[in-house]
Amino acid sequence: MKLADTLSRLDARVISGSPEVEVRGCYISDLLSDVLAHARPGALWVTLQTHRNVVSVAAMKDVAGVLITCGRQPDPAVVAKAAEEEVVLLSTPLTTFEAAGKLWELL
Amino acid sequence: MNPRTENLTPRRDAAGVSLAQALVYELRVRDAMTCRLRTASPRDSLRSIQLLMKEHRISGVPITRDSALLGLVSIEDIVHALDQGHINDPAEARMTRHPVVMRDHYSLVRAVAEFDRFDFGRFPVLDVGDRLVGIITRGDITGALMHHLERRAEEAVRKEAERTAAAVPDEPHRRFILNAEVRAGDFDSAGKLSQRLRQILRARGVEPSIRRRATIIAYEAETNMIIHSLGGRLTATVGADRVTIEAVDQGPGIEDLDLAMREGWSTAGPLARKLGFGAGMGLPNIRRSTDQLDIKSDLANGTRLHAEVLLQPARAP
Repeated sequence: MKLADTLSRLDARVISGSPEVEVRGCYISDLLSDVLAHARPGALWVTLQTHRNVVSVAAMKDVAGVLITCGRQPDPAVVAKAAEEEVVLLSTPLTTFEAAGKLWELL
Repeated sequence: MNPRTENLTPRRDAAGVSLAQALVYELRVRDAMTCRLRTASPRDSLRSIQLLMKEHRISGVPITRDSALLGLVSIEDIVHALDQGHINDPAEARMTRHPVVMRDHYSLVRAVAEFDRFDFGRFPVLDVGDRLVGIITRGDITGALMHHLERRAEEAVRKEAERTAAAVPDEPHRRFILNAEVRAGDFDSAGKLSQRLRQILRARGVEPSIRRRATIIAYEAETNMIIHSLGGRLTATVGADRVTIEAVDQGPGIEDLDLAMREGWSTAGPLARKLGFGAGMGLPNIRRSTDQLDIKSDLANGTRLHAEVLLQPARAP
């Protein structure tokens, strides 16, 4: 499934990058080292963190994208860094629990 | 062929911050304080302390016993004693007990904030072992900044001359050495070296899983220093058959290495946790990602981490 195909169900919009990428599975965590240890490449990472280190971790793990929940917005410097590192950032007003529920059905 | 070396230390001046502003973050109280201390014992009279101040032109005298700080007598205390007629009392009767202190590892920016907060003329300085190691005034801070600005200016002129003398062309397969200074608490600069390392390994066609392991080690080692150390240096060397990552910090060292290697155990503070650090998985992640790991840590010298990742998959056929 393409990441772009999940957008409408998640009520998500693209903040950075192109969602025309294959998504395989999902990992949910707000702890960076936990993501480094357990997220699989190609997964969608769901978090409510918006700090720039999210982009570093996402790039290192080659995740399909990062879905930021609860309507949180990363600041422009973080968006710029995501563009530079070709990391797809999405934002949804859903809570992490709600987003997880939708993704469980989709993926 | 000489290796290509890149320095990825974040440049604050590039982000519109002046060198003086950068220095107040980099320099520590120990770089600015006066170490040659004039102290007195609790039984010494205020009169003798007044003479000590006069002789050495100082405005505050720490009262100590076996290099433990008991109190402080300031010039204001002396004036008050003269006024009230108890100038012959022993120091312990009139000194300020439990004076506000600074630690020798505080950055100067923190030191300046303390001066603004308390409005004292001077602060005694203690080390991690609570030993009195110096005293600091606003004048000491200004002096240290001037001194270091001058040195940096000289250094910049010298480096510029060296750079023009030795401009080397890039080679795709030479050894790469990446260097970065890591500052305590500088979360915003984390990940620059691992980002560059990723680019290099990608350009060399290194297998993604191996590339990931190497960058995770560099990133976790860097964030460990940002969260827990007083600052340090991160180096990644990309050789023909391996990536070597070294992280050397200035302390305070890991108290219990076995405990720190345990998953979920963390001493990270609230700010780090708010940003998603402090999962207690840094060192376990490094161990999982490495082909060879060596960590030496003691409370006197800090921590030295050496990790290697082989570029050819040697673990499983």
